[in-house]
Amino acid sequence: MASNPMQQFSVHKIGPEIKIAGIDLSFTNASLFMVISVALISLFLFLGTKEKKIIPDKIQLIAEMLYNFIAKMISDTAGSKAKPYFPFIFSLFIFVLLCNMVGMLPYAFTVTSHIIVTLTMALFIFIAVTIIGFFKHGFKYLNIFIPSGVPAVLLPLITIIEIISYLSRPVSLSVRLFANMMAGHTMLKVFGGFVISLGILGGWLPLSFSVALTGLEILVAFLQAYVFAILTCIYLNDALNLHH
Amino acid sequence: MTNPEDFKTRLEIAKSKIKKQVLSENEKRGSFMGSAFKLGTELVAAVGVGTIIGFILDSWFGTKPWLIIIFFFLGAAAGMLNVVKTANRMQKED
Repeated sequence: MASNPMQQFSVHKIGPEIKIAGIDLSFTNASLFMVISVALISLFLFLGTKEKKIIPDKIQLIAEMLYNFIAKMISDTAGSKAKPYFPFIFSLFIFVLLCNMVGMLPYAFTVTSHIIVTLTMALFIFIAVTIIGFFKHGFKYLNIFIPSGVPAVLLPLITIIEIISYLSRPVSLSVRLFANMMAGHTMLKVFGGFVISLGILGGWLPLSFSVALTGLEILVAFLQAYVFAILTCIYLNDALNLHH
Repeated sequence: MTNPEDFKTRLEIAKSKIKKQVLSENEKRGSFMGSAFKLGTELVAAVGVGTIIGFILDSWFGTKPWLIIIFFFLGAAAGMLNVVKTANRMQKED
């Protein structure tokens, strides 16, 4: 571990180089930590749903609470029409959450601190929501770009602004998650570096900061996963229930 | 006449209530930072997207500086629209 706080974000290959049709598909440390997250999720949900007891044990209780949490979030924000999309939003939430949380472990790599990962998820959501909107409402879906009660003179201008606002959704969705994770981890590294450079005399202050920041980071890790999922619900709501 | 003991206990209860409120406000401050960050990214993302659209249209039509300038401001307007929408939604949640 060098003193460079950005080194923790470097992606490097693990194992042999795999190239298919000119595209580099090598297994990297990013892929490794995604696999670890998915494995942890699968293990947890497998153990949580293995024995369907009437009086649940701890792990089953956590799994059921998680289910209720997401189900309530979806029905609150997107209504009953969004029920078929529960599996997708549940997987999205738990994947982002576990990636963030696994990243909090020492020596771990934070997958969500790379914009390519978050942007891929955000673009997938954006394109999927747009397709769902057109599929459900046909060309009437374009009405979301035309707010009601706008004078005819301003309509072209407002429509352009609404379209830009719509297109900025994946960008803000991905940048928020990526920036939060990267900023937090960089800050942790910087304060960790201060502890070393100030030595045993002055290192206690940054050390206490690091402890506080770690707590904050765990909160941020949960909050950002929640925000990512709830914004997906809100976008889904716009596509399913046309308001304008 | 109310006896002083009764008053004392009531005062204690009232004080502890205030303390609880202050605590929950402190907890809220963390989520305020989150929502402030949320609004910030909404604004910046729209400005960025607007500028990129302007840049692409400029290189299509060969009207070099003009569309990028116009779309920068349209992007800023869209960003404010995003912020207003998000703030409205946050207010509804509370």
